[in-house]
Amino acid sequence: MELFDVAQLMAKIVFVVGLSLGVVPIMVWFERRGAAWMQRRVGPNRVGPFGLLQPLADVVKFIFKEDFTPGNANKFFYYMAPMVALIAPLCAMSVIPFGSTAIVNGHEITLQIATMDSGVIFILAFAGLEVYPIILAGWASKNKYAVLGSLRGASQIVSYEISMGLALLSMLIVYGTFNPHEMVSWQAAKYWGCVVNPFGALVFWISIFAETNRLPFDLPEGESELVAGYHLEYGAMKFALFFMAEYVAMIMASALIATLFFGGYGLLPGMSFLVNFISTNFGFGEVGMQNTKAAFEVLSLISKVAFFMFMFVWIRWTVPRFRFDQLMDLGWKILFPLSLINLVIVTLMVYVLNK
Amino acid sequence: MLSPAIVILAIISAILATTMIFAKNAVTSALCLLGVLIMSAGIYGLIGEHMVATIQLVVYAGAIMVLFIFSIMLLNLNKEETEYKQKPLVFFGVIGVGLLIGGVLFNGLFSHFKHHHDGRVLGPFSHETIQQLGGNSKVLSFALFSQYYISFEVISLALLTAIVGAVVLAKRKFD
Repeated sequence: MELFDVAQLMAKIVFVVGLSLGVVPIMVWFERRGAAWMQRRVGPNRVGPFGLLQPLADVVKFIFKEDFTPGNANKFFYYMAPMVALIAPLCAMSVIPFGSTAIVNGHEITLQIATMDSGVIFILAFAGLEVYPIILAGWASKNKYAVLGSLRGASQIVSYEISMGLALLSMLIVYGTFNPHEMVSWQAAKYWGCVVNPFGALVFWISIFAETNRLPFDLPEGESELVAGYHLEYGAMKFALFFMAEYVAMIMASALIATLFFGGYGLLPGMSFLVNFISTNFGFGEVGMQNTKAAFEVLSLISKVAFFMFMFVWIRWTVPRFRFDQLMDLGWKILFPLSLINLVIVTLMVYVLNK
Repeated sequence: MLSPAIVILAIISAILATTMIFAKNAVTSALCLLGVLIMSAGIYGLIGEHMVATIQLVVYAGAIMVLFIFSIMLLNLNKEETEYKQKPLVFFGVIGVGLLIGGVLFNGLFSHFKHHHDGRVLGPFSHETIQQLGGNSKVLSFALFSQYYISFEVISLALLTAIVGAVVLAKRKFD
């Protein structure tokens, strides 16, 4: 590999990881203020303007807390669990494209960390690995509530992965490819995936709430029943890692649903006009125009992700929490058959239309 | 010829495999096996076979090992763990038999490569043809659902039979 290739790869990794970790404090602030706004409360507004420095205060608190380890915990796995929790969604981010191509110094750069022909399956692989930190944390901390939480979490994630996979499969049949770049260009040329396959989009979206352990499906950490679920015995920065992992998983899920069903990095309506306007007014050449387009594509994906992150918060404070049997019923008796029927219908549709 | 990254992954996976055999705790063993599977996925990825690496992660790490660890956790093997003692005779016997089988296998493999190294016949798919046909996943899907689709269906039928058989066996025991 040449020096330039290494440099551009490192730049992309720093951009994606830095952005997804840097959004976490903003999301924590928004989660609290948004919750207060939806419940007509004030929310945390003492630290800095609009309480914007509240996450900083949280971080300081987390760092200076005692780093406590329970006496009979299995130390190695106890410390490994929060690391795996954060690493798995960050790895999955590496195949999500955040733009088409940018041109630097005459080199064409694909705006995606890892370009491979099995892109979407790779994301699914790392989404599957998200079960391990939950099982490990519950088992290693040797606490009954933690074990109960991890059992709930594992069975919930495994159950909803099926309907998520079937919804994904119906989209794969429509696009005929695993490559996220080709999916985005298909949607740019024709329609957004959610127009072609609305039930698939709905099932996928609901499953993502269960996969990321968000309300209304946050039973693994249901406070009123299990204290804090699988991360009950974790304090200080170890808990903060779990907390960050939840938000990174949300960002990953939002980026995935945006790429599969909502046009990915494809330009939003009006943006192509802006690209043309800027590049003609500032006298950019062909290279400048491509780079402006890439910048707007990144902006488009970020705004879509921001919208889905907002939906995560909105639904959290709108729908009450499910009971565990209701959750399993929804997963196995409603979403699973629905996604299976949807798969058959989409297959027939694709067969008839392509004939 | 081998890149240092592959050598490092191979060494880690060898260490994990040894730990898997000698660990007393069942969950540690299962997690070491998971580590071996992830390392081999890493090796597949490093030699450029991303499809195989991804399938390895999805099937083994994402599905089968979750089931293993889940059932080990539910069974609560703490009693066996404390009472378990390694018997030296059995231990060395097992190692001896393992070395014998391994030696026979390696002997067969090496003699095969020695004799057939020059005149070996490669399959229709080289790296270049796969790139021309549109990547590993496309070639694999076409082969699976056109040329080999009857064997594919038969294998899935075999899996179904196994599931039904397991349910029948378990049901008789509990009734």
